[in-house]
Amino acid sequence: MEVLLGITGKDFTLIAASKAAMRGATVLKAADDKTRSLNKHTLMAFSGEAGDTIQFAEYIQANAQLYSMRNSIDLSPSALANFVRGELASSLRSRKPYNVNLLLGGVDPVTLKPSLYWLDYLASLAPLPYAAHGYAQYYCLSILDKHHHPDIDYEQGLKILRMCTDELKRRLPIDFKGMLVKVITKDGIKEVEYFDEKPVACP
Amino acid sequence: MTMFSQNPLMNGPNYSFSQTPTMASGANKEHSFYPYTDNGGSTLAISGNDFMIMAGDTRSTSGYNINTRYSPKVFKIGGTTSSQDDATLVLSVVGFAADGHALKEKLDAIVKMYRYQHGKPMSVKACAQRLSTILYGKRFFPYYVTAILGGLDEDGKGAVYSYDPVGSYEREQCRAAGAAASLIMPFLDNQVNFKNQYIPGSGEGHALVERAKDPLPLVVVEALVKDAFDSAVERHIEVGDGLSMMLITKNGIEEKFLPLKKD
Amino acid sequence: MDTLVASYGRPMFEKEHVEEDQLELYQPGPSLSLKFAMPPVAQPSAWLRAATDDHANPNCPIKIAHGTTTLAFRFQGGIIVATDSRATAGNWIASQTVKKVIEINSCLLGTMAGGAADCQYWLAYLGMQCRLHELRHKRRISVAAASKILANLVYSYKGMGLSMGTMCAGVTPSEGPALYYIDSDGTRLAGNMFCVGSGQTFAYGVLDAEYKYDLSVDEALALGSRSILAATHRDAYSGGFINLYHVKEEGWVKHGFNDTNPIFWKTKLEKGEFSNVTSELV
Repeated sequence: MEVLLGITGKDFTLIAASKAAMRGATVLKAADDKTRSLNKHTLMAFSGEAGDTIQFAEYIQANAQLYSMRNSIDLSPSALANFVRGELASSLRSRKPYNVNLLLGGVDPVTLKPSLYWLDYLASLAPLPYAAHGYAQYYCLSILDKHHHPDIDYEQGLKILRMCTDELKRRLPIDFKGMLVKVITKDGIKEVEYFDEKPVACP
Repeated sequence: MTMFSQNPLMNGPNYSFSQTPTMASGANKEHSFYPYTDNGGSTLAISGNDFMIMAGDTRSTSGYNINTRYSPKVFKIGGTTSSQDDATLVLSVVGFAADGHALKEKLDAIVKMYRYQHGKPMSVKACAQRLSTILYGKRFFPYYVTAILGGLDEDGKGAVYSYDPVGSYEREQCRAAGAAASLIMPFLDNQVNFKNQYIPGSGEGHALVERAKDPLPLVVVEALVKDAFDSAVERHIEVGDGLSMMLITKNGIEEKFLPLKKD
Repeated sequence: MDTLVASYGRPMFEKEHVEEDQLELYQPGPSLSLKFAMPPVAQPSAWLRAATDDHANPNCPIKIAHGTTTLAFRFQGGIIVATDSRATAGNWIASQTVKKVIEINSCLLGTMAGGAADCQYWLAYLGMQCRLHELRHKRRISVAAASKILANLVYSYKGMGLSMGTMCAGVTPSEGPALYYIDSDGTRLAGNMFCVGSGQTFAYGVLDAEYKYDLSVDEALALGSRSILAATHRDAYSGGFINLYHVKEEGWVKHGFNDTNPIFWKTKLEKGEFSNVTSELV
C-alpha cells in the first residue's frame, strides 16, 4: 500500500512518495521520507521489503557520492539509472536479493533535460514521461495517460499530481498519511509544500 | 469474463484418468467423480449473405490415441424424419463427444416437438435462445462442449451463433471452436472480417483506409474452410482424417465430405 | 392472468423428477426456469470448482477467466453506461465483439462482468420477472425492486459458483435516474458511479478526476467513452469496442459500438494524450 509517483515536465521532474511507514496493521511513522538524493540533481524514491529499501538506497547513495568525490563530476541521471539497474540485477542473482522498487528522477546538468526512470525489484528499467509503483499504478496511470503532456510547466505538473493523490485518497482503502513531494530542477532538489488535509469524498 | 472455453494449442493432449481432480477429504471418502474427457477435433462456421457453412473434422481422440477416423461433429437439427433430409438448422459440437451427442439429441427432440406443436419449423433465433437455456440448465454440471449453431435467419441471411459450455452466446460472422481454434480463428479474422487489411497506397500511417467488408461468395468461403482445416491438420495432432461440411442455402442443406491427411 | 402468473412462478430448487425432464420437451412453457441439473456428488460446488476454476485447478477443462471493464454513472441528464467488448479465457481472446450491455427491457439496462452465461441468463430472467411485475401491478417496476430481485436470486445461489458483477441502470418517474451494483456475493449498492471488472481502477481514475453531477449529455458521453479507452489501454484483459448507452426517462439510447484502435490514435494525435506511447524505440 506504499505509493510512489513520478511526473516529468518541460524543465522539472516531480517525485512523490506516501508518508506512512507501515508494519503489518500498524502505522509506525506518519512523516516518513522514502527518498534519497544521489547527487545535486538526482533523486531516488523507493518502496518494497522493509529493511531492504533503506539499505539498498543508502548503498546507492554512498556510491553515487563516492563517484562525485573521486571524479569531481556528478553522474547524469541516465548513468545513475543504469548503475542502479546493474546493482539490482547482480543482487537479484545473489543468495539474498534486494526486494526494492524504485523511481529515479532527475535533470541532466548538461542538457538540462528532465528524466524519470522506473525500476522494479526484478531490475527492469524503463525511461518514462510519468510512472508509478504499487497500487498507485492502477489508479493513476489512466489519469496521467489523459492529462500529461511532455511540455507542461511546474504548476500544471502539481495540478496533475493533485488529481492523482486525490484519486488515491478517494479509492484506496488504507490511509497512506499524505504525500511527501520533491521537485528536481536544474537548480537542484527541493521539497514542495504539499497540503493534503482536505478530505476527498467518493461521488 | 468468459465466453468460450477452448483448448488453447499449448494445453496439449490429456488423458482422462490423469485429469482426475483430487477432492478435499471429508469424514467419508467419496470416490472421485470425473465424467469428462476431451475428444479433440475442431469445428468452424462461416456465414455469408444467403448461405452459411458449418464444418468439422471427423477425428476422435483420447490423449495420443485415435479412437476413430470417422465420428462427425456436425449434425442436422429438427427435420421431420430420422434422415433429417428437410432440416434447416445445423449444430456442431466439439469437446467431450458423449456430452456433445447428448446435447444434439436433446436439441433435436426439442426442435422436432416445436414443429409438431406450432406447425412450423423453429427459427434460428428461437433455436439459439433455446440452446442457451439448455446449456445453462446444466450450469452446475456442465456439458463439456463448445457448440455452434447455424442456419438462415428470417431475412434469409446466413446466421452463426457460438456458445460457451454454460450457454453464453453471441451471433457472429464466423467462429472456430475446439482444439485448433487458436490456429484457425486468427486466419478467419484476416480472411473473413479483413482484420488488419488496408488498401495499399490509400494513405500514410494511421490514415490508411481499411479494406471494405464485402460479403464473400460461397465458393470463396468453401475454399477458406478447406484451407483452414488443411492448415490445422498440419500443426495440430488432434485434427485430421476427414472434413464433414454442411452448406446451408435456401434450397436446404448440402452435405459434403472431404478427406484430410490421416497421419 | 392468474393462471399465467401461476404457471410461470415456481419455487426455487424445485425437486427434479425423471418424468419432468421428459416433460420439458413437450411443454412450450418457460425455458427460463430455476431447475438445474446437479452432479451426483456430496459437494456439487467443490466439484464444479475443480472442473471450472482455473485458479484452483490450472488444467481444468472449462476455463472461466475474469477480465472486463464496465462503468455506469448518474448525472443531471440520466445515466451513462459504457463497456469494453473483450472476452478472454486465460490468455486466449475468445471474442472482441461481446455485447456487455444487456437490454433487460426498453428502460432498464444491465452490464456484464464475470461469467458471461451467468449474466446473460439471470438478466434475461430478470427481464421476465420485470414483465410479470408489469402485468401484475399495471405499472413499471422500480430499479430498486428489479435490482433486489436479482440480488436475492444470486444470494440464494451463494457458494454454488455463480460469478457476476453487474450494474442495473434505469430511469423511472418515482426514482429518477437510479443505479445499482449487484454482485454474486450478494452485495447490492445504490450509488452515483460504479466501475466493475479488471480494468475498473483505470476507469475510476479518469472518471473521478472530471466527474460532476452537472455534466452535459455530450460531456458525459465523452467521459464515459474516454474512461473505457483508458482501461483498454492499461488493462490487457479489456479491449475491442466501446459500447456506449445513455439511459433517459423515455428509455435508453444506444450511442454506438466503436472500435478502440482508431479512437486511441485519434485521441493521441489530436489531443496529445498518451504521451508514453512514442515512435522512438528507447
